[in-house]
Amino acid sequence: MGSLSDKEKQTMREMQDNLRADPFPLNTYTHIGKRGPRRLDGHLKASGKADYTMDVQLPGMLHLRFLNSPFPHAEITHMDTTEAERLDGVRYILRYDHPDLPSRASLGKVTGIYGDPPPLSRFAHFEGEPMGAAVAAETEDIAEEAIRLIKVEWAERPFNLDIMAAKDKNAPLSYPEMYPDSNYWNNGLFDVLIQGDVKKGFAAAEQVVEFAFVRRGHTWIGPERPCGVFRWKGDCPELWVKQQRPHLVKKNLCTWYGGVPMNKIQLHCLYQGASFGGWVQVPWNMGPLYCAGLVARETGRPVKYAFSRREDFYGQSMDDGIYRFKVGFNDDGTILAVEGTSTCANQIWPVFNPVNHLRENTRIPHLKGKIETVWVNKGPAVPTRCEQLPATLSLTMVFSRVAAECGLDPVAVALKNDGVEGHDMVHVSAEKKKLGFPDIDSLAVCVEKGKTAMDWDAKWHPPGAKQLPNGRMHGMGFTWTNEWDDSLGSSEIAIRIERNDGTATILSMGCDNGVDAENTYCQIAADELGLNLEDVHYNPQVDPGFFRMSPDSSTNLSVNGWAVRHAARILKQRILEAAVRPTAETQRGSFRAAFPDCAPEDLDILGSVIFKKSDPSESITLADFVREAGQSGPVTSTENAGFRWAFTEPLFAFSYHVQVGSYNPENPRPHLTRQAHFLEVEVDTETGEIFIIKAVNVNDVGKAINPMSCEGQQYGGTVMGWSRGKFEEMIYDPATGVMLNGNLIDYKIATTLDVDAPIDTILVESGMGYGPYGSVGIGEDVGTVMTGLIGPAVHNAIGVWIDDHPITPDKVLKALGKI
Amino acid sequence: METKDFICPHCAKGFKSPEEMKAHMLADHRGGALPSPEGRIRLTINGKAHAPDVKPNWTLYHLVHDHLGLTGAKQFCDRGACGSCTVIMDGKPVLSCMILAIECDGKTVETVEGIAAAGHPLINAYVKHHAMQCGYCTPGFVTTSKALLDDNPRPTANEVKIALSGNLCRCGTYPQHTIAVLEVSQKLTAS
Repeated sequence: MGSLSDKEKQTMREMQDNLRADPFPLNTYTHIGKRGPRRLDGHLKASGKADYTMDVQLPGMLHLRFLNSPFPHAEITHMDTTEAERLDGVRYILRYDHPDLPSRASLGKVTGIYGDPPPLSRFAHFEGEPMGAAVAAETEDIAEEAIRLIKVEWAERPFNLDIMAAKDKNAPLSYPEMYPDSNYWNNGLFDVLIQGDVKKGFAAAEQVVEFAFVRRGHTWIGPERPCGVFRWKGDCPELWVKQQRPHLVKKNLCTWYGGVPMNKIQLHCLYQGASFGGWVQVPWNMGPLYCAGLVARETGRPVKYAFSRREDFYGQSMDDGIYRFKVGFNDDGTILAVEGTSTCANQIWPVFNPVNHLRENTRIPHLKGKIETVWVNKGPAVPTRCEQLPATLSLTMVFSRVAAECGLDPVAVALKNDGVEGHDMVHVSAEKKKLGFPDIDSLAVCVEKGKTAMDWDAKWHPPGAKQLPNGRMHGMGFTWTNEWDDSLGSSEIAIRIERNDGTATILSMGCDNGVDAENTYCQIAADELGLNLEDVHYNPQVDPGFFRMSPDSSTNLSVNGWAVRHAARILKQRILEAAVRPTAETQRGSFRAAFPDCAPEDLDILGSVIFKKSDPSESITLADFVREAGQSGPVTSTENAGFRWAFTEPLFAFSYHVQVGSYNPENPRPHLTRQAHFLEVEVDTETGEIFIIKAVNVNDVGKAINPMSCEGQQYGGTVMGWSRGKFEEMIYDPATGVMLNGNLIDYKIATTLDVDAPIDTILVESGMGYGPYGSVGIGEDVGTVMTGLIGPAVHNAIGVWIDDHPITPDKVLKALGKI
Repeated sequence: METKDFICPHCAKGFKSPEEMKAHMLADHRGGALPSPEGRIRLTINGKAHAPDVKPNWTLYHLVHDHLGLTGAKQFCDRGACGSCTVIMDGKPVLSCMILAIECDGKTVETVEGIAAAGHPLINAYVKHHAMQCGYCTPGFVTTSKALLDDNPRPTANEVKIALSGNLCRCGTYPQHTIAVLEVSQKLTAS
């Protein structure tokens, strides 16, 4: 803010205050909120012209593949690579004992949050782990063949797959190199959440139930496998990365190989074949890139690493575990106390408490939640669309159980308990007013729209009560929670007005995960600057030194949207100031003021035209304005010819935004917007098959800046949720610890034939989000919440709880006593 | 031992001199065109003739993606389970990761790049209906859809779903593909 006046600095501070309602929304929206076919990535992706890291081929590029552990827990005691080295086309074999491989990872991790296995460790902690050795060869096939020629002597170790057995103090250690004292590990950060006194709540409750359920681990399935390309240009690394958070790659890399100055790193982040998880911070993910750089340095050639499809199963979701709950409630559905414990496998970041969403979204006065993380010999559990899975599944199961026990409609139970951090809706209304938001009952609006779309009142019935003429049992499921507001991120974004034609370019690197985010940021910039949408462009694949919060498929519009808006507002002011008086007096003079008798506030910009508010006919296009003002470069010949081209300073502005919001248990801001989801199923009690008949998603997104993108996250998240709720599970052989379905034939994800039901997508715009214009993020939440809804819907159909997710036909038949 | 350094390119028979080999070729092979070098195939890709020299272990995916730069075909599963590498060969959608390139001699292949270059309305329909998110699987869907419409210009919604059931999309865009394909079907058959 260095060049701003005191008044402007004050305005910026107010703009960056996102602890309350947006104090400066626009009066009218030209591009924001509009539907249209424009996707900046659309034609490229549909026509096969979009480039992904897997597509990168450089002259002389070598291919790097990794040794995989055949055992779930083992140590390499001896390795002989002689035969592999002799294979034609093999150029380098990187072994675990290379002196430049760190003994502990220094990959830029967040200290103290999780373990730090070194890249290419000689210790394997799960079957299939890429470790021990990597071969660089002229082709992938040769590298793979060479891997098979490496002779390895292993010392097998005892292993754990069962979390309850591994929790026992006498159990063998699963990850002794990272967790030498115990398999039971919490970092003590937010692992216990207490509100009120649950003992009092249970004592006062008319009913108390206890139940437990299991969620089996599943994984992200990124269509583009983890990969990266590393090339050294002298001492400058040039990288192409498939990463959700490219800024962290750069941050990490500067600490590698004895240190690399940040300004020597050239980063490319092309289109991303999605990932839905597998954090860049995780050493299992960053290690291969470290190895690629080391081999590239040793060979003097570019090196591309790519995991095999099997290797992409290196980690899993954070909800793999056992959940135990005790709930106290009254007969009318009022919940008084919830005590819950989640015992989950391998959470690298055990901070997402099972009762967290109950705290954030309800008036339940007494809560106690505990996370237990137990390390077993599976891959790391990392956010997998998303880390809120344990908490949303817990909310869904608690509310569904209470409704069933009371014989009540689950929608009514939700409305009865809606609130914030133990406070009722009267309190929430007062908070809304205090923070400057409209007082809208978001859940009431969402459920009303959803019930109408689903014809809920006509269709809902008590559990197990409706058999259809086709013989199937009919079921209805409902769940809800808050919208994800933001993710504790920061964002830097700049905007430049291009010389000569006055178009605007947004500058900031971020990954593209397909949510049309680039267009969304252009919509904001266009409306704020007064430009036509086609005059604003954003290519986040290049590194201009600014990084936005990513991925956008998370909740980060509420961070990045602010940063774009701040930058656009500053830039617009600069344009108008330049239009009324010359700036940047130079030896070549300056440009001619377009409106010399005006003040900036006398002018405005609309449709890429600067005009006088009092007389819009007095106008100049931004293109004409900067064309005259923006000439730069050698002009000697023209000066010799007797005239000078003017020069003025570039029209450029940057800004930034820092979020303090949710995901922080000490979040000072109440969640005000809600989402509600309705599901209709039929269950064949002879085969156990579950047929999805209809889904309705209602999301109060506050303000839908790019409605088609929002809807894409609704139906897309629903499809992923069904897939995970019905099919997805990583299956291990208990005798050997080997994963049995680490491929896309045996690990089932939904296809078109599994999506035979209509999915209604309804957006509510209450304006009660903490993002710009009252918006919230929507990228993660539908996929996360819908994952748990199959269970309650099936219970409503058959009248029996299936406490083991995913809900597969065999479990249905077992619940019905048929097998 | 007598050496025979001159090998007939037609039948691999050895001769001591080029003159002897030439006489043999004229007599026994009637001076016909020389056979292709080992591994050379001839095929038409997106309407253009190609004669690449392929190795025995190359798949059609390797040929089009890695060697001809047609990167629209994507490798997602690498074992015929996802449809992302789909190309159209002699009118049928095929998985290019499951076909050896050397078996494609004489074939006619169409990739998503060819479909787009021909201005097929599927491209605009896919953009219009956001039948894509991350986009990695999208070319495979477009290619499969094009093959469907070539074979069945007026498919039902269920026929579209069946045709696309071998294409995986992790972003969950399935509902939009049916909308886009049916719209294009209507447009093409109306015209």
